[in-house]
Amino acid sequence: MSDPTAPGPAPATTAAPLLAATDLVKSYGPVKAVQGVTFHCNPGEVLALVGENGAGKSTVAKMLAGAVTPTSGSITVAGEPLASGSVKQSRLSGVRCAFQELALVPDWTVAENLSLPDGAPLRGFSQKKSVAKAKQLLEALHLPQIDPRAAVDTLSLADRQLVEIARALAGDPKLLILDEASSALTPPGVAWLFARIRELTARGGSVIYVSHRLGEIAEIADRGTVLRDGKVAGEFVRGGWTDDELISMMAGREAERFFPSPPPRTTDAVALSVENLRAEGLHGIDLSLGAGEILGIGGLQGHGQAELLRALFGASPAQADSWTVGGRRIRRTTPVRAVANGLGYVPEDRKREGLALEMSVGENLLAPWYRAYQLGGRPRLSRERGWIDGILNALSVRTRGPNELAGSLSGGNQQKLVFGRWMNRDRTVILLHDPTRGIDVRAKQELYGAIVDLAKQGVGILWFSTEVEELVHVCHRVVVLYQGQVADELIDHRLTADNVVGAAVGATGSLAAQTAAAASGAPISSPPNSNVAQEGLVR
Amino acid sequence: MSAISPAPSFATRWWNGTGVVRLRREGAVAPIGAFVVFFVVYVIINPALLTRFQLQTAANLVVPLALVALGQLIIVLVGGIDISIGAIMSLCNVVFAVQLETMPVPVAILLSMGVGLACGLFNGLLVAYGGLPAIAVTLASAFIFGSLAREVLDRPGGGVTKEIYLATSGELLPFVPVALVWLAVVAVLLWLLLQRTALGRHIYGVGSNMESVRAAGLNARLTKLLAFGLAGVITSFGAMMLAASTVTGDPRSGDPYLLSSIAAVALAGAAFTGGRGSIIGTILAACTLGLIGNLLFFAGVNSYWQYVISALIIVAVVGIPVVWKRIAFAARGARS
Amino acid sequence: MTTPGTSSVTGTPETVGTPASTGPLGTAPGLDTGGPADGSASPSPDSSSPESPRGSHASFLSRVPRAVWPLVAFVVLFAVGGLIRPNLVTIDSLIGTATFAIILSIASYGQTIAVIQAGIDLSVPNTIGFSALAFLTLVGPLGPVGAFVAALAAGALIGFFNGAVIAKLGLTPIVTTIAMNGLLFGVILLAFNFSELTVTPDFVIAITSAKISLLGITMPAVLPLGLALMLVLQLVLSFTGWGRSLFVVGAAAETARLAGLPVDRIRITGYMLSGVLAAFAGIVIVGYYQQASATMGASYLLASVAAVVVGGASIFGGRGSVVGTVGGALVLGQVSTLVTVLNLGANIQQLIYGAIILIVISLYGRRRAA
Repeated sequence: MSDPTAPGPAPATTAAPLLAATDLVKSYGPVKAVQGVTFHCNPGEVLALVGENGAGKSTVAKMLAGAVTPTSGSITVAGEPLASGSVKQSRLSGVRCAFQELALVPDWTVAENLSLPDGAPLRGFSQKKSVAKAKQLLEALHLPQIDPRAAVDTLSLADRQLVEIARALAGDPKLLILDEASSALTPPGVAWLFARIRELTARGGSVIYVSHRLGEIAEIADRGTVLRDGKVAGEFVRGGWTDDELISMMAGREAERFFPSPPPRTTDAVALSVENLRAEGLHGIDLSLGAGEILGIGGLQGHGQAELLRALFGASPAQADSWTVGGRRIRRTTPVRAVANGLGYVPEDRKREGLALEMSVGENLLAPWYRAYQLGGRPRLSRERGWIDGILNALSVRTRGPNELAGSLSGGNQQKLVFGRWMNRDRTVILLHDPTRGIDVRAKQELYGAIVDLAKQGVGILWFSTEVEELVHVCHRVVVLYQGQVADELIDHRLTADNVVGAAVGATGSLAAQTAAAASGAPISSPPNSNVAQEGLVR
Repeated sequence: MSAISPAPSFATRWWNGTGVVRLRREGAVAPIGAFVVFFVVYVIINPALLTRFQLQTAANLVVPLALVALGQLIIVLVGGIDISIGAIMSLCNVVFAVQLETMPVPVAILLSMGVGLACGLFNGLLVAYGGLPAIAVTLASAFIFGSLAREVLDRPGGGVTKEIYLATSGELLPFVPVALVWLAVVAVLLWLLLQRTALGRHIYGVGSNMESVRAAGLNARLTKLLAFGLAGVITSFGAMMLAASTVTGDPRSGDPYLLSSIAAVALAGAAFTGGRGSIIGTILAACTLGLIGNLLFFAGVNSYWQYVISALIIVAVVGIPVVWKRIAFAARGARS
Repeated sequence: MTTPGTSSVTGTPETVGTPASTGPLGTAPGLDTGGPADGSASPSPDSSSPESPRGSHASFLSRVPRAVWPLVAFVVLFAVGGLIRPNLVTIDSLIGTATFAIILSIASYGQTIAVIQAGIDLSVPNTIGFSALAFLTLVGPLGPVGAFVAALAAGALIGFFNGAVIAKLGLTPIVTTIAMNGLLFGVILLAFNFSELTVTPDFVIAITSAKISLLGITMPAVLPLGLALMLVLQLVLSFTGWGRSLFVVGAAAETARLAGLPVDRIRITGYMLSGVLAAFAGIVIVGYYQQASATMGASYLLASVAAVVVGGASIFGGRGSVVGTVGGALVLGQVSTLVTVLNLGANIQQLIYGAIILIVISLYGRRRAA
């Protein structure tokens, strides 16, 4: 094993590597997403590319796939330079990629998605033949349960991911890039994926496995390269590493994560309660959130967490046998009524659902508080200057001021705006959809602090996170969802990362046991109610 | 009716089990249903539709609209909208009519098609390669093409002859208007292109999710450009049919088709975000909209009502499924 | 604060480099378009000052409000006209162009509101026609003021239906307003008896075509009227909660909804205001030209959108101003004046309109990369 603390060029190994990436750089304007990454991958090898969110893994994977043109640096495949910036050229060179965010066309059928990317546009196209071909391919890949005639947007998220992987495998690639391709897969699905990877490497193909799930990497990766802040932070080989070493490599100086503890509860008042909440993807949820309580929601992606938050906020229709907010009974709700009832919501996609990027920082903070007949715009901003400055200071939002456009802030600061608009506004409950995803460590710390402060003020916090450590350390209590129902409720000594992960896969057994069970023929697809979520599982 | 509906709808059903599913996904069921209802009502009120003369008149009325609507459909399929389609039609119309004065017929046809293609490619270049919004680009080109049309011919005229009228708008066989045959030919060719070539599927894909298509290594911009070009050519067919059936070239003849082509595509159930829309649905929607005026005339109603009724049909056909879904969801929620 | 000097340098990559940086696959799913703005990628969280990547691009020029540019363009065109024909630089010529422009502006105010909320109102033409004819018809029974109020109420009702169908049924604004436009055309043809509609009431003439003297300059009354309306609307758009909410809805409807704004209500009231303004335009046009017909609004279908686009509004919503729209109309008006003076013909005018729109959208018509 190489020294984890010494980042450096790839060690010289046997023969010619299949893939060699040298000094890759990618800049977006002044921001360097990737700065001088060098690594190689030998034939028949599984190379893991690991790092935290935003470390540059995806950008590197996309440069290999031809989806992103490197600013500088070179990539060679089997000694031949790879024409940069063309997916088609990469495919012709035998490089296939399954993207993290699905690259399937939603209105095409599975068969069309599998067959159309190959071949000239003016070639004839036969539904019948492509369906037959797709059926053959899916059966060869042990995916007979997927109907090649189904339109992709009618499939579950997990099935779509399987199709995406199948498409990448279809051309018998020399180099397969899997960019967080297991994020929506159930343990049986992951086992399926590993079986395919082993088949491929047995034939001499290579795999670049981009992930931040250490468990999977331990099982499948021969070697690995760790990225941090767009640079190579270290390398490792199979068996020569521990979780802790890798985590500290990934996190760098932030290795010792600081998680604030939840504040002591001072009241038994109930901020929010529902009994038998039903909605699309939710099958009868009972939940009670106390004032000043931080209640975590855990589980695999697509098991109803997003639906739960949306339903509670009235963003999607829902019904419950009994439903109270701040002690007041309600029957059903809409976002307008939810805000009036004292709720606040930090949605999943800050750019599309959280902010108006072309409007100013101040107006984005004020958005929920605009009333038709009151002042708006600059006069309102100056009137509310005290509140706005208070929020910007409390969250250390790095901005030139309330008049800067929200779109010009960095991701972490944007997220703070979506969160900040509910602060000091007399909220009873705040619903958080994975607010710390994809933001830098410092912004995370600031958000943790703000969440704890709100809880101290007696606000009930319902917090869905994909990061188990957050849930375990910052929450009073964690409810784990599985297939749209509450699988387990964890508190005090039972609130451990293992228990959260165990409940998330639908049993109290370990992940490994699940995987083993799956290998012996359990169904691969996840339940069909998993269309909403996007990103990864707990590690 | 069977003369109007091109073979494809049956073909898909016979050869391919997904055909019906696809029609439903592409939103064609409602417009087909609406057309059937409309047609039955029409025949009850005016059985004389099925006479030779009336069939021919009706065909000449709807075919230009159906063709232009197909052009609009292709733009809508790639996620755009063409505000200039009326102007393109006017321009192709006058080019055709003016060229007939001096040139042989095939040259005039080719020139008109070429002009349609050029207009489409002009829009397509700016949209696909310039990254500009289709609605704004085609707003600009609507002014430009419209002014060019009036430069070519500033008042109705041109050299459309009786022979051309007969060749496009007469009768091929008793009870078979030529116009419908031409429409069927274009529709079948277009159907083959959209459903039976990779390019056609790319056109649907680009409208559905352009980024996914690019991530799959396909040339999404070129696909978009070709779709605009194709739409221009089909629009020129509509323009020539109009010139021939009215036996004149008119630099403003295309203007009314801007709104009615969009209306027909809307009635066809196409998604204006792109990726969904059917040929058969569009043709039947155009027939429905085009014949409402006739129906009212024969029913003895002031034919001005056609505008009101068309609007209500569009809102009803497009809106009822939305309301229905909402009601169905509420009912399901109440039961559980 | 960046100084103009430094910022114009850093500004270059953004303006010039946009096509390149959004590259052939610029916004492929999952690729870091969010890269720059995804603070995750920001190398050192300690860099305190402009950590924001795009903020530092904001050059001095881009801080000038967009609404100013069409006005600048108008002044340039006016000067060009003066160079070609010095006798064009007169107050009368200016008033003539401005009057043409202000009437187009009034017809486009409603369109501006619709475009700001990421919609479009293609029912403007026949709303103009309908309100004008309704006004003339009702002057007899209701008197001028009653008819005026009734016509505006009709506009509000038209807008209400547009907005309700768009917001509640989820139909595309284009389709909805086209259908409404068609429906109104039918109603116009069915409901009005054109032969009786010849007399324009004095009250309307007084606020439109009547010459008044302001600061020693003689001008038609419609000019100050239109400018006053512009001022009021701009104040409403910029400085009221409703106006700002309209921008939030236009810029990001889902954001507005999840922030708890009453999106449907804002949409509907927005279209109602559009309808009222189009109806008002109808009355103004009747007063100024003193004639009304079924197709009197037809020329405003594309012209109103053109004025809004040239005025710098984003066709994607969330951006636009009525001041800009007036500027856009002035540009189009000055082009029309120049074309007339140079005797180029109406066709060339349309061609130039098209070219101007193309120039404007290629300057800032692209969807801002999020």
